[in-house]
This record gives sequence, structure tokens and C-alpha cells, in this order.
Amino acid sequence: MEFITTLVNGLSLGGIYAMIALGYTMVYGIAKMLNFAHGDIIMVGGYTILVFLAINPIVSIVAAVVMCVLLGVSIEKVAYKPLRGSSPLAVLITAIGMSYFLQSLAQIIFGTAPRYVIIAEFGSLELGALKIGHGTLITLAAAVCVMVLLNLFVKYTKIGRAMIAVSEDKDAARLMGIDINMIITLTFAIGSALAALAGLFSLMNVPTIMPTYGALPGIKAFTAAVIGGIGSIPGAMLGGILLGVVECICNSLPGVAPYTTAIEFAILIVILLVKPTGLLGKKRREKV
Amino acid sequence: MNRIIEKIKGITWKYYLNYIVIGVVAAVFSALTFAGALPQSTLYLLERMTISIILAVSLGLVVGFLGELSLGHAGFMCIGAYIGGKVSVLLADALGKGVVNLLISLLVGALIAAAAGFIVGLPALRLKGDYLAIVTLAFCEIVKSLFQNTSEESFGGPLGLRTPRFDKQYLFIIGFVLVLVTLAVIQNLLRSKHGRAITAIRDNEIAAHATGINVTKYKLVAFVISAAFAGVAGVLYSFANNNVQAAVFDYNYSIEILVMVVLGGMGNITGTIISAAVITYLNTTLTVVLTGNLAVLKDLIYALVLILIVVYNNAPALKNFREKYNPRKFLKALLKLTHPESKKYADDEGAWARVPTKIEMNEILSTDIVVNESTKNPDKADKGE
Amino acid sequence: MKKTFAKLLCLVLAVMLMVTCFVSCGETNYAENNTKIKIGVSGPLSGGAAVYGIAVKNAAQIAINEINAIEAAGGAGTLGMQFEFVAKDDEHKATNVSTTYSSLYESGMQISLGTVTTAPGLEFKELANDDNVFILTPSASGDDIPEYDNAFQMCFADSNQGSASAVYFNENYQGKQIGIFYKSDEDYSTGIRKTFLDALDASLKNGIKEASFQEGDNDFSSQVEALKTCDVIFMPIYYTPASQFMTKGKGIVKDDAIYYGCDGLDGIDAIDGFDITTVPQEVSYLSHFNSGATTGAAKTFIDKYNAAYNEETEPLNQFGAAAYDCVWAIYEALKVAKANGKEFDVTTSPADFSEILTEVFTSDNFTFHGVTGKAVNADGTSNISWSDDGFVNKEAVKYVVKSANSAQ
Repeated sequence: MEFITTLVNGLSLGGIYAMIALGYTMVYGIAKMLNFAHGDIIMVGGYTILVFLAINPIVSIVAAVVMCVLLGVSIEKVAYKPLRGSSPLAVLITAIGMSYFLQSLAQIIFGTAPRYVIIAEFGSLELGALKIGHGTLITLAAAVCVMVLLNLFVKYTKIGRAMIAVSEDKDAARLMGIDINMIITLTFAIGSALAALAGLFSLMNVPTIMPTYGALPGIKAFTAAVIGGIGSIPGAMLGGILLGVVECICNSLPGVAPYTTAIEFAILIVILLVKPTGLLGKKRREKV
Repeated sequence: MNRIIEKIKGITWKYYLNYIVIGVVAAVFSALTFAGALPQSTLYLLERMTISIILAVSLGLVVGFLGELSLGHAGFMCIGAYIGGKVSVLLADALGKGVVNLLISLLVGALIAAAAGFIVGLPALRLKGDYLAIVTLAFCEIVKSLFQNTSEESFGGPLGLRTPRFDKQYLFIIGFVLVLVTLAVIQNLLRSKHGRAITAIRDNEIAAHATGINVTKYKLVAFVISAAFAGVAGVLYSFANNNVQAAVFDYNYSIEILVMVVLGGMGNITGTIISAAVITYLNTTLTVVLTGNLAVLKDLIYALVLILIVVYNNAPALKNFREKYNPRKFLKALLKLTHPESKKYADDEGAWARVPTKIEMNEILSTDIVVNESTKNPDKADKGE
Repeated sequence: MKKTFAKLLCLVLAVMLMVTCFVSCGETNYAENNTKIKIGVSGPLSGGAAVYGIAVKNAAQIAINEINAIEAAGGAGTLGMQFEFVAKDDEHKATNVSTTYSSLYESGMQISLGTVTTAPGLEFKELANDDNVFILTPSASGDDIPEYDNAFQMCFADSNQGSASAVYFNENYQGKQIGIFYKSDEDYSTGIRKTFLDALDASLKNGIKEASFQEGDNDFSSQVEALKTCDVIFMPIYYTPASQFMTKGKGIVKDDAIYYGCDGLDGIDAIDGFDITTVPQEVSYLSHFNSGATTGAAKTFIDKYNAAYNEETEPLNQFGAAAYDCVWAIYEALKVAKANGKEFDVTTSPADFSEILTEVFTSDNFTFHGVTGKAVNADGTSNISWSDDGFVNKEAVKYVVKSANSAQ
């Protein structure tokens, strides 16, 4: 029974990782860049919720999504777009710079003390001895919903298919009349909105926020995205849930717990060595 | 006499410029420290600078010349620091804290770090681009975590390993010597046929493979040498501090080294040395100047400077502007003005061009993955997709 | 040939020029131009641990301002000198200490509060020992910090906290199921846990349950699950993760369980937005300060702090209280030294100050009345003295910040 509870907790944590990983994977697929600032957008979303929570929880969620979308798009415009066409490493470094920038800005505005953001109190579902918090269920359901919607959006709408086209071959997509700039901006908007939602669900899970809040979840979610196969939407979901479950199982074993992070990263290495494109990643041929 | 002058004239000074400048700087500071005229803040700064330069130059070999992105450099440094530190602790009773102890520790630390580089590189170098980046980042975090979970007797656990500190008056001189050694090994490697093989792999792996270059071997060679010098920097770190704490060597440290390499210009050793020294100096100065309430501005300034420099240096839209106001061009023009004869060296691009200095980095982060079967048999792989 | 030589010469000259910028005067007393006695500290002012460093910086500044006001007014027993305080940012990293320490030292720091946290403190004490700079650290609780003669602690050392807690457990919690929740990659937490386990009775140690977490973790669902059957949960950690654990544990951990911590738990009842009364379990900790104190000198200090600084963004915790006591203790010790006929002024060198202060702090009759520790005096202050090893002697208090089941 204890194991099942741990498993359910792992699924909930995995849902959050998956949500962050979805944003990572979207941006990576289109812009081909490691957006190191993605985790910090989650942090900004969390602080926006904190600021607007006094008015109304719903308002605060909407405000967080709007804020994150605006921030994501403007970061893209200011820091990434001027570098399009230059070395991808340059973009990586500006993304890292952005991450530091957002963290120190948050410290200046909100201080470093942890703040509690309690959005709503949830009860729990009891099945015999099994107790599952409603928050857990909502998180999991939302992650699945987002994944399905995102998949449908990418596969069946015109814009979504344009996104696939851009990720496959930018030049060919441009020749087909696709507005590349618009697609990239839209991708950042969607990725940032997902980050806001991820912030919301992390706050439902752990109601504390501080300026360094997004750093480690960001790295772990990126790990999840790579495990699942970066660029793949179901892959991000799978990777996130796998990572969440592994983390919870390791943490529940006293002797193993100190090595949890090491084990998570070791799993990443093993998976990549066996399957170099991740679990659900597409194989690509090198163009000569 | 004339023959000697001819010989000196025949030397391509550019090859040796790095050694000369570093040698002169080291000599001047050494003279000052023997006179007892250096305050400890300068001594510590020089120690940190030499460590940064060794790290940046060795990472530059992998990122700038081999064209692979590694975010695990701090992991190799961590291994070097702990192993070298432990060796020096064990030897301290028998040999004291002197140079002999340091040399043995350096050797052992570098060897173990190189071995770690081999073990990680052998499987990981099959991966490319961001995949290799995340695997090396994972390696770095695993190393950190393993050392944090050691027992108090072995490596000190979370408290860290206590190491004997080398005399602060003279350690930086050893640091400079190690910088010269690093440069000698890496620059000579790059100028040899092995170096050209490494840059060929960067420019076009498949073409390099087709011309008979053993891609796996050369990738490993570059990676292992880079890891070994990260280990050297780690040992130097353990001698420059009284404690080695694993928490220091996280992925943020790897990123800091990467920033030095990228800002210095990929594949440009001189640039890497300068940027490593300048960034270390900048970090130190910001820590010193921004006290109390202002401390929080440090990261803000660092981040803004980073973004501005990278955008200015790389943005395609600013290309014309950059060429118009290129400080290097300006400097060249100034030198030509004062020494018309020096034109000979300035124009002697032929010899220099053989040494890889400028590269296009478009391929580094590409998602293209080599799948062995598909290269062997493209038709089959097409069906698989 | 000539021009190469000329170039080289130019280079050497340029380097020389650069060097002269670096070089200042050699073996000197950097404090000789001071106009005030300079007290310095190295602590995290940015990054993840900044909340502790900022509290220290703020509280020490309050003490400095108070002392300066007294000194400015003059009168019997005053020193006739002003004080100034500098805090430099080490980001809780030992690598930055050589920079923060050397810049403090060379800018004329005469007396130091060491570091705020232990990890950088291990480096700081070595460097300070080389120059013989006095250290009275508010909160670097590692056992090795007061290793040398010139270093003293205002907080309880980790091993003392662990063994004191174990003694309390042996006396009060016999027959109960004990659990430990600790942070596996932090010296504070593992240090206390080790001495706690060493001093715990075998009967309690039998079947003890443990759960741990690492830097950056905040989802404690599996740790809560692992400890849910425990009667007493020992938490040698800081208050942020502890509050997260308690939030997760609501409805899962037994309602009549007891959360028991060390000085790191102080501040748990003051976290913005975290309502400790909604935690059904008892929350108590053994410490020298309670940020929620409502009586005595502690209360006066808390009011002063909250009047001067924003409670939400720069909250007070025991780090700050200890720093306040440190500055006052140094001031009192200087007054004692002056009364004993020692001579010093605002330009006295750090090494001389170290001699003077060490003598006072190790003397048997020096007792300081502070805001940390158990209030035993009429004015609500505590008695604090130091052993020759540099460890602090004062009475710890078990604070019950929230008694069991008062919420419903």
C-alpha cells in the first residue's frame, strides 16, 4: 500500500515535470535552442500568482499566464531573435544570462525569503487505506489534458502543422509561405504559457516560492524532455512521469535517498547510451 | 651573430606570443612577490586567474576545436580537486606541503581525471550536440553527489575535504607554470597532424571520416586531454584552498567556464586566455565593490554584460557595425603606422591560416544524430522513419 | 630585431604599469587610516541562502547604530570611538572567501564576525588565523569553526545541538517511535544528525526511521510517507524545508506527533503566508532564540528590527539575533579591556585587537547579557560566556512554537 502511495505521489510530481518538459520540448523543437531561462519563467509565474492572489485565485492564474507569455515573447525578441542565424552557443549563453537576470531581479523585487502561496486547500480522495490528495489528481489530469491538446493542436491545426514544418526544415518552410518569425514567437508564447501552468501546479504541490525556485526543476524537466526524446510531445510526458516516479521511489528508501539526484541523472545517461535519441525521439539521418 | 638574428627573425612570433606575454606577466609578479610587495588579495586573484585560464583553455579544446558542447568540465575539476587533495593530505606527513607533494598530487589528480574522461567519453561521444551537453551535465552532478555522500574519513562528506594549503606567496607562480604547460600541450597538439584531424572532425565529421581519420579516437584524445587539464586545475584549486567542497563544482561552474570560452571566441586560444582572466577579475571586483545591500546587483550586472557582449559580438544584424568599428583593425592600423615593416608579419597569414583560429559554429548544436545503421545503409533507415 | 625588442619593451612597460595598479603597500597595518573601528562579515547576500546573510547584515547594522549613538552621547565607560560595519557577499560558497576576506582585511577591517554559514567559514577561519584576525561568528555552527584561539561562536556548535537534543529525547521520549528528517548534502544537517544518533539511547535508536532530501528538492511526499508512523520527528534542518514538510504532512503524519528541531527551525512561525496554527502537530525546537518571542530583551530587539526592515522581504531569524549579540558582545568586551587598562584606538591593527579581545573572551569573569539564550536576568537578557575553546556557554531553551491540536 505504501508503495502505491509513493507511486501516486511520483505520478503527481511527474505531471509537473512533464508540464515543464512540454514547454522545453516545444521551444527546442522549433528554435533548436536550450532555453535555460525556462525554469525562471516558472518562477516569474509563481510570483505573479503571489501578487494577484489577494484579488482572486482565478484572476491570479490568468495574470500569471499573461505575464509569462509577455515575458517569454519579449525575451525571445530582445535576447534570442537578434542572434538568429548566428552560433547556437551564443544563444545558449544569452539564455543563461537571462536566467541570472530574472533571478536577481526577483531577489531585488521580492527578497530572498521564501513566500507561501496557498491557492486553495484541497481535500483528499480515500480508497480504503489509500489516500490521494485532490491536488495530485488535478495535476495529473491537467498534465494529460495539456499533452493531448498540444498534440491535437500540433497535428491537426494549420499553425501546428506549420510548426512541424519549421522544426523539420526552416528554409523549406519559408519557401512554402510560412511566416517563420510568427511561428517562433507563437512557440515561445505557448511554451511560456505552459511554464505559467507548471508554476501553478508546482505551487499547488509545494506552496513556497523563492527566486531560485525554477533552477533545479528546469534542469530536471530538461532531463525529462531528453529522456523522452526532445522534440516529442508524448516523449516529454513520458520522460517527466518516469523521472517523477523514480524520484519519489528513491526518496522513500532511506539508504538510497541521498543519491536520488545522481540516480536520476544516471538513468538519463543509460537511456541515451542505449537509445541516443531518447525513448520516443525520432531517428534522423545526417544530411551529407 | 647574423645567423642567429636571421633565425630569430624567422620565428613566427605569433606562435609564441601567448607564452611570452604570460611568461613576462608571471616574471613581473614573481619578482614582486619575492620582494614581498604583493597584497594577499592580488595573490588570491592571480591564483584564481591561473585556475580559470587552465580550465577555459582545456574546455576550449573540446568546445572550440573539437566542436562538441560539454557542460561537465567542473565534474572533472571536482575529481582532480578531491583526488589531488587526498593525495596531498596522505603525503603531507612524509613530504611536507612542498613542491614534491604538489607535483605528485598533480600527476595523480590529472591521471584520474583523464581516466574519468576516458570512461565518460567512450560511450558519450557517440552523442552529439545538446545530447552530449546534457549527458556531461548529468555526469558533473553525479560526481558532485557521489563526493557529497562519502564518509567523513574518506573525503569528508558534505563538510568537504580538508587540504593542506600551499604557501600563498608562491602558489600563483606554479599556477603560471601550469598555464604554460597547458598551453604547450594544447597548442602543440593543435599544430600537429592530430590537431588538424580534430578540427577536421569539427568542420565536417563525415568528410573527416571519409578521408580515413579515426573519428572516435581523435574525439577521445581531445576529450581526455581536456579532462586531464581540468583535473590539473582541480588539484591547483585544492592547493589554493584549505577545503575542497563538492557543492562548488555544480553545473553553474561548468557554465561559467563555458562563458569564458565563448566570450573569448571559439577556437581562439589567446581570446580564451584574455576572457578567462577578465571574467575572473570582473567577478572578483564586483564581489569586492558591491557590499551590503548592493550585493544583489552583482548577478544583475553580470547577466546584462553577458547578454550585451554576446548579442553585440554575434548578432548578424550588427555585422556591418562591428566591422566598421573593429578595435582589432584599429589596433592593427596603429601598429602599421608606427612600424611599417611589421606589415610583413601582419600579412603573413599563410602560416597562421594553417592553425585553426576562426570557425563557423553552426553545427555544434544541431540535432542531427548519426545513426550507425543509416549511414551504412541509407535506404533501410528511410523505411524505418 | 630592433622593433621586436622595442615591442617587448613596450609590453614589459605595459605590464609594469598594470602591476602598479595591483600593488599597494606590503606588510602594513591596513587599518592605520581608519576613522572608525571597522567590523566586517562575509555572508550570503545573494542567491539561495541570502535570507540568512541579509538578516545578519541588518541586525548587525542595528547594533552598530545603537552603539554609535551611545558613543556619540559620550559619558562614563564609553570608548569615545565610532564603529562601522561592512558585509561582503560570499554566496554561501567557500571559493569566494579568499576574495571577501582579503578585501575586508585590506580595506581595514579590524574585527570580524567571520562568516554567516559554515561551509565558507571553514576557509575564513584559516585565512583569519594567518593574519590573526578576531572572529566571533553569529551562526557558522560547524564544530571546526572555533579551532584556532582567535575564533569564537555565538551559536551552539552542531555537535552540542545534536547531543543536547539526544539527551532531551532520552529523558522525554522513551518508548516512542523516532524519525529523522535531514538534508543529506548539508554539513549543518548531517553534523547534527551524527552526534544526535551517537548520543541517543539504544532503545530509541532501535527501529528509528530516516528520510532525507537534497538541495533543490521541495516535494517531500515520499519523505512524509516514510515518516508518517513516527511519534517524534527530529528535524535538524532550516525552517523553509521544515515548513514544506509540515504542509505536506497535514493529514498524513499522525496528528499527535511532535516535530522537534534545532536552531535552524527558528523563524518557522514567521514565514510570510505560512500559518503554523494550521499544522495539527506540536512544533518545538531547542535553540537560543525565538523570532516570535513576546517578552524580554528578545522582544525589544524584534520590535526594533521590524521597525527598521521589511518583515516580508528581509525577515528576522536567529542568525540576525546572534549577529546583534555578536556586535554588542564585541563592544562590551572592548569596554572591559579598556577598564582593564588595555590601550587601543580606531587605528589599532587587527592582530592587536585579536589579542585584546581573545583575552577578554577567554577570561572567567566575562559574561555578556544578550538577547539570545534563556532570559535569566531582570531585564530579560541572558547570560552568555565562552569556553577557552571558543564554544559558547549559554542556556538553550526548548521553544514550543505551536502546541499540539490547538488549531481545531
